[in-house]
This record gives sequence, structure tokens and C-alpha cells, in this order.
Amino acid sequence: MQYKSIKKEDWDKTMEQMLLSYTIFACIENEHGLDYELLKPQDVQKISYNKPKPVTSLKTFFLPVKENVSLEKAYEKPRIILGIPNCDIEGLSLLDEVYLDNEYTDVFYSNRRKNTLLIASDCFGIQEHCHCSSYNIKAYSEKHADLAIVRLGETILIRIISAKGDDFLKKIPAVQPAGNSDLIEEIEKEHLATEALLSKSNTGLADYKKTGELVTNAKDGIWEKYSVNCVSCGACTTICPTCTCFLLLDRPGFEKVKQMDACQYPGFERVAGGEDALFELHKRFRNRYMCKYVWKPLKFKSSACTGCGRCIEACIGRINKNEIFMELAK
Amino acid sequence: MPDQKNIYKAIRAKLTNIIDESPLIKTFVLVPENEFSFKTGQFIELSVDGIGEAPFTPSSSPLVTEKLEVTVMKTGYVTDYMHNLKPGVHMGIRGPFGRGYPVESFYGKEVLILGGGCGLAPIRSLLFALESIKDKLVKVILCYGSKTPADCIYKPIFERLNNTEKFEAYRTVDKADESWDGSVGVATTLLSKINISISNSVAVVCGPPIMMKFGTIRLLEMGYRDEQIYLSMEKNMSCGLGKCGHCMMGEFFVCRDGPVFTYNEIKHNPEIWM
Repeated sequence: MQYKSIKKEDWDKTMEQMLLSYTIFACIENEHGLDYELLKPQDVQKISYNKPKPVTSLKTFFLPVKENVSLEKAYEKPRIILGIPNCDIEGLSLLDEVYLDNEYTDVFYSNRRKNTLLIASDCFGIQEHCHCSSYNIKAYSEKHADLAIVRLGETILIRIISAKGDDFLKKIPAVQPAGNSDLIEEIEKEHLATEALLSKSNTGLADYKKTGELVTNAKDGIWEKYSVNCVSCGACTTICPTCTCFLLLDRPGFEKVKQMDACQYPGFERVAGGEDALFELHKRFRNRYMCKYVWKPLKFKSSACTGCGRCIEACIGRINKNEIFMELAK
Repeated sequence: MPDQKNIYKAIRAKLTNIIDESPLIKTFVLVPENEFSFKTGQFIELSVDGIGEAPFTPSSSPLVTEKLEVTVMKTGYVTDYMHNLKPGVHMGIRGPFGRGYPVESFYGKEVLILGGGCGLAPIRSLLFALESIKDKLVKVILCYGSKTPADCIYKPIFERLNNTEKFEAYRTVDKADESWDGSVGVATTLLSKINISISNSVAVVCGPPIMMKFGTIRLLEMGYRDEQIYLSMEKNMSCGLGKCGHCMMGEFFVCRDGPVFTYNEIKHNPEIWM
């Protein structure tokens, strides 16, 4: 894969200049941890590199919590999102399958995708619940993004992933071919080290396919047991980079408002007349697991769980899906 | 990422007439402002302006494109509003969505239709479609059950079908009253009265979930193969586009992969009767 390089100092200047023509969101540490923040010129130095992972997922940039899908959108400034971990990039790949399919393209989603440059960030190191590699997802991006960025000391190295990313880099005079093979070797070493950390941290965790089998074969009573601490708040689905369900609401003038929804909420599958296949909490709880590990894999090429671990971090009932899978595997 | 039309946008349709079918069921006659057509068994999302929308399979002939009929049972928030509408207002239509009945594959065969309750609405559209191709069919048998005689909609259709060459129609009610001297029992009880060549037939089942389940079991007992049974599945189809997730039934989006499935396509999935 082709690398380019730029001095950190020049990259910072470039970002400042880019703010004139782009809206930029970058990973910056705040009081809750690392997250995607609207970049201001004075914060360019605060951009975090090589570090997992933003508290929230990438999907909110493409699927707003609520949007009127009847109105023509005014011109929006092009966007750059900088510092995206590969779990989020892979999650976006599933969103693309859902919203950009040829028969029914969501023009609002499509416009945002076209308007956004995705700059991924390699993860050097892991967080407590990171488990991307268990599902055959790497801790660095080689596809679906436009560029991937690594900081090594005072050098920024950039992998070119898409033609769009390549065109963007051509506009930056300070970007040079990455001649120093030592730096590339260092990146590869970091990749291996991160993989080793992931492997050690998730020893015994089943792979994606096997997880689907565990969920399918879970015996009666399992979901009642594990859902005891679930309060149907939907935090797991809201924070998930691949959960895409929504509701269409009607407004006067035949306007439609699309609002993100979750299978964890009561009434999600209720039909007129009141029948509700997911009336009971444990059935809704099971539904999320079946959807992610059994049904979506039958329907889509992209993974419906990218191993980001955010659902574990967000759960107020302290439900850890990986502990469930470990127990199911016993 | 191709530029396309707004998939969420409804077209307007003028409500020109409302027909009372039963105390709880009305048929809405709509004239769409834009060109609109559907295949029998496909569904639309019909909206009351500013209130909400709900999925319905049109009950009119797919061959008639200048107007559309939708038969609606008063059973929830949106349908309550629909039942209070007056002719002259505009409603919204999105669609048509999904996969309807593959009527071309019925050529040369006997078609058994097992229906219950408001399931007769989509069946009526199918019957119109089958009447138009009756030269290519061996025969069509309708077995229909309603809770009471008063709950039966489109009553004239039974006499009309029984006077149509190649068509037979049978009715039953769960609970008889003094006006009724016909069969009493659930719809599947009619199946023992019909004469059909199972090996050269297809069976279409449309009705409430409980009837779909026991209807399918009875058809299998009679000797129908899984792939001969067509089921029109009901779920909470919200977007119609295979995106919103509300109608997921196993790996299928009922709105897009269905709503018509053969039993063979979905039998592996325990969720289908839930």
C-alpha cells in the first residue's frame, strides 16, 4: 500500500488552512475521553493520533438522530472526519450496503457520504473492550476509508486508500512520497504489537461465525437470564456503529421525519391490532444478538459487529456481551 | 453512489369514495396524482397527512391503474384516523413495495386460496388478477373464513365467483348467528370439502397469523409440498425499503424480500409464526 509523508508541523498548518474550505471533525480528548470534535484552528495541536477510540461511533455523522427527509438540503460545506478507527470504518461499510443499495438509495445519506473525506487512524494499542481482531477486522484501515493516518514522532505518514483520498493529498504541496522504509517497518511492528494485545485480551472469544452458532444454539432460558439487568434503554444500539434501524414520522404536508430507532425499545415490532413479536424484554434482548451475529451475516457482506466494544462500555446494566459469549461457549 | 429520487417521499392521492364493508372495515378509493401501478400482492404505505402511515396491500385489480382501492380495518392509531376521513381529502402513497404473487408461475395449475378475516383484501386483488388469466389456469378455489357472518367483507364476490367459469368459492364462520345457515368452523375446515389435484396446484394463504400457521400445517398434512405454499406475511413494515429494520423476520426484510414467500423459503426460521 502506498504511503506519503508530511512533517507534523506542516500537517498542522494544512489542517488550519483546510478549515477555510472544510468542516473538520477530529479525534480530541475531552472530559469523557477521546471523541470526534468539531475542529477549531486553536485545537489543531490537540488532535489525537494512533489512539483507540472515540467514545461515540462514526455513524452519527451519516445518520442523524432525527432528520426531515422531505426537504431539499441546502449546500453543506464539505467535511473531513479525521482519526476514525477501523471498527468505525468497517461499520460504515455495512451502513453503505443498507443506504446506498442501487434500487433504493437514500439520497440524504448518499450526499453526506459524497461530501465527506474519511481519514482513518491506525490503532496503536487497545482499550479494555476492543475485540475487532476476533471478528477478523484489523486495527488499521486498508479499505472503505479515503486515507489512513499514522503519527510517528514529528512525521505524519498517510496511506492512500481511495482515489478521492489521493486527489485530496495532491492538493497539499508539503506531502512527499514516504521514502523512509524504517518508518513503514515501524508501523508494521506496531500493527503486529496491537494484534498481539488484542489476541491476549480476547483469548477464548469465539470468532464472528462461531458467535453466530453460539447465539443460534443458545438454550431456552439463556436470554431471560442475561436480560435481567437490561432496562431497554437502547444505549447499546444507539452507540453501535452498525445499528441502523429507524422510524418514519409524519408531519403536515406529507413531510417525513426519519428518527433513529432501536429494537430494544418496547413496541419496535408491534403491528396494528397490538400483536408484538418482541413484547417481552428477553425477546428484544435476543433480537439484537440474532440480528448482529446470525441474520445480518446472511444478508450483508459487511460485518454487523466490528468488535468496538462500545455496547459494553455504554450499558448501564453492565451487561458484557463477550462474557455472555464466553459462557455460551463453555 | 448514484443520484436518485427521494425514496421517502409520498405521492398524493385524492380520496374519492369510502365504502363501508363491515362495522370495522372500510374500502378507500384513491386516485393518485402521479402515475401509479402495482403487482398483485405488493403493498403500499398509505398515509394520513400529518398523522402517520401504515402498510396495506391494495384490494383492487392490478390491471386498473387510474384508481386504487385499499381496504382498511379500524385497528390502531392511523386506521382510526382513516376511518374518520371524508371523501375529497388527499392521502399519501409510497410504493408499491416488495414481491407480490408470482401469478405467471400459476399457469396450467389449480390455485387454492385460503383466506381469513381482513386477508380477503389482498386476496380480492389476486382474484381480479387470476380472473384476467383464467384461460391459463385449470381452476381457482377460494376457502374463506370470518369470525361472524357480519365480519365477512365483499359478500357479493362469493356469488360472482361461483358464477364464473373455473372459479369456486366457499365460506365459513367461526360463530354463526340466525342469519347464517352455511358452514361453521375455522377456514381450514373447508379444505376437507374441496376437490383439488394437489400435485398440480399451488396454495395461497392470507389472513391473521394464527390462521396462516394452522392453514400451513393443514396444507402440509394434505400433501402440499413446502414450495407449493405461498404465504403473505405480516410484520411492522415501516419504511418499505428494507432499511428501517422493523419488519425483520430472520434474515429477511418482509417489506422487500416478501411480503409473499413460499413456505420453503422461510420454514427454517422459527420467527415466522411469532
